[in-house]
Amino acid sequence: MHVSRRSFLAALGAVATPTVLGGCGGFSTGGGSSSGEGSLTFTTWGTDAELAGFRSAIAAFQEANDGARVELNAVPYEQMFTNIDAQLQAGNPPDIFRVPYYTFGSYAGRGQLLDLTPHLSGDVQHRFTPQAWAAVQSEGAPYGVPHHTDTSAILYDVQALADAGIDRVPQTLEEAWTWEEFAEVARQLQESLSSDRSPFAYNWQGNGVTRWLSWLFEADGRFLEEDLVTPAINSDAGAAAVEFTTSFFRDNLVPRNNSISSSTYAADSWFAGTVPMVFAGAFLIPDAEATYEREWAATFPPRRERSAGDFGGNALVATAQTEQPDLVAQFLEFVTEAEQMQEFCAGSSLLPTRADLVEQGIEFDVRPELSQVFLQQSSAVRAQDSGQVASPDMSSIITVLQDGLEASFLGDADVETTLATLSDGIEAATQ
Amino acid sequence: MTARAREAWAGYAFAAPTLVLLGVFVLLPLGGAAVISLQETNGFGAGTFVGLDNYRQLVQDPVFWRASLNTALYTVLVTPAAMAIGLGLALLLDSALPARGVLRSVLILPMAISGVATALMGVLIFDENSGFLAQVSLAMGLPQVDWQTHGPAAFASVVIMTLWWRVGFNMLIYLAGLQGVAPELYEAARLDGANAWQRLRHVTVPQLSPQSFFLVILNIIYSFQVFDIVFVMTGGGPERATTVLVTYAYDTGFVTRDQGYAAAIGVVLLAVTLVVTGLRWRAERRREESE
Repeated sequence: MHVSRRSFLAALGAVATPTVLGGCGGFSTGGGSSSGEGSLTFTTWGTDAELAGFRSAIAAFQEANDGARVELNAVPYEQMFTNIDAQLQAGNPPDIFRVPYYTFGSYAGRGQLLDLTPHLSGDVQHRFTPQAWAAVQSEGAPYGVPHHTDTSAILYDVQALADAGIDRVPQTLEEAWTWEEFAEVARQLQESLSSDRSPFAYNWQGNGVTRWLSWLFEADGRFLEEDLVTPAINSDAGAAAVEFTTSFFRDNLVPRNNSISSSTYAADSWFAGTVPMVFAGAFLIPDAEATYEREWAATFPPRRERSAGDFGGNALVATAQTEQPDLVAQFLEFVTEAEQMQEFCAGSSLLPTRADLVEQGIEFDVRPELSQVFLQQSSAVRAQDSGQVASPDMSSIITVLQDGLEASFLGDADVETTLATLSDGIEAATQ
Repeated sequence: MTARAREAWAGYAFAAPTLVLLGVFVLLPLGGAAVISLQETNGFGAGTFVGLDNYRQLVQDPVFWRASLNTALYTVLVTPAAMAIGLGLALLLDSALPARGVLRSVLILPMAISGVATALMGVLIFDENSGFLAQVSLAMGLPQVDWQTHGPAAFASVVIMTLWWRVGFNMLIYLAGLQGVAPELYEAARLDGANAWQRLRHVTVPQLSPQSFFLVILNIIYSFQVFDIVFVMTGGGPERATTVLVTYAYDTGFVTRDQGYAAAIGVVLLAVTLVVTGLRWRAERRREESE
């Protein structure tokens, strides 16, 4: 069949026109709050296990509430917050979304989230641990529910530690190594390793720089005063934390590319066999079980004045523009009921934020014997610590920490200069 | 309506879809960015008009100057290198080199790969602990290079990956240009006693002038806009050694959420790009007029 140029172009136009017009129609952003009465939209990212947990909770909610419907919109983590920001700016956000605690404050403090005070049951705050509840407060009111948490422990290669003659690994939080003991363990490991390997790697890359704060908290320090505005990092505790963590690089206890801005995550170094110990969240357990070929276990991070940990994990929040605040609150309460939270956390290797589940314990589906290490470690997080991370200015403070600590770790900034830089930066960020 | 007017209307009608798209998706956002750059805003709600405060802050911001310097250095390194290597490869592939078809395909292949994928390959190659180069150095007993933690080395790693990615495109354009050069010119030059270098210098390079002009403009614009390779390979580190203007604008706009300041960085970048392109354009026209 002969096809002329004219008929080819006409056919192409006929095919393309509906596609182009369809693409223009409404510029759909997906997951916006265009839901009808009884319907909610919920945007999240997640691993397969996390998404399965959310779908299961949604199905149970819909079954328990006749006529209610929750539409789950799962997006890649990399696009999550640029999408959410664009939707908030366009006035078309989802009713509910998932947010890390360190990002929570930047939405709550800028009037983008729903104050849940009049919508939640009066006793709901007693469900949660004080540190979890503190992490969803903004100016004394709850702007979300703490859905799950996570904290870092040390994953270690059992044989590598045995080869280095390290025969005692802490089995309880109280037995955790002191900073000095931990440094000694690292040096012992260093002596037994070839020159191209290092004793451990720390997970402070990218926004994980908030995990550096664990060292500050272990030294019983703060980075913000109780008003969450005045910088408090220029202190003896701050000096101790900067000095000790910088010594990791100075003494070659971590790989040089274990710095803050590195594109190599700490876990990648551990998986590659470059380091026998790595600070890692419980969410890494399924991957480690599936891919790390040697015997491995978990133990507690070191302590100084006290034990401390990063308050990782995420809250669920409602946008201020939602048209169904009561239904939203009903859903948020439902997914933080004991049964739902237990199922979600066990399947996803994450930690509960409910006090009763923390007390009775939880068993991960994968490597259940490690659950206790992470649960005990999460109990070391204090409300005063998680409350600081919920600062509305945390997104700016993260940049200050990244630049200041990198200059100390890889550059020649001394402790005093670093503390002054961090303090000035935090002051500018909180103004 | 006269035939001339009808023709003009037809021309406008054909150009209209492109002009509408250009207006809606390029000019309007540019205008919006310029307006936002005069505000203090975190992106939510109405911003506060602060006049030129963001620009004043830029002048005093050492990270902005570092990012500007890095962007300029990146452009100065990548543009001539990509063009020179591209021209060299095009000359080789235009001659009687065996397996030219396969080699052309291999060299053009990186063009089909996204910047992010290219950068991820860069991470696999330049990782200090377990990367390809580290393993090769270890096996051969060579000294290790701190590709991720030493500023100049990290910068070099970004430039190398960019060249791998961009050289194929430069080669393709030059190859097309070479195939349009009249063989009689070379024959005449040969008869006049010109050697290979002289033929390249005085016949090939001038004949490829339109392609060179096109590539200079494109490479400069691309270099000013570099983002994905830097963002994935180095995250702007170590110690801001590889931070460029676009990664700094991204960090400021989406991490720190200071969108007015980020917009100001973007407007400065646009202005610099326009000025450099304009100057290059003017130089090219002067050269053409003088010939």
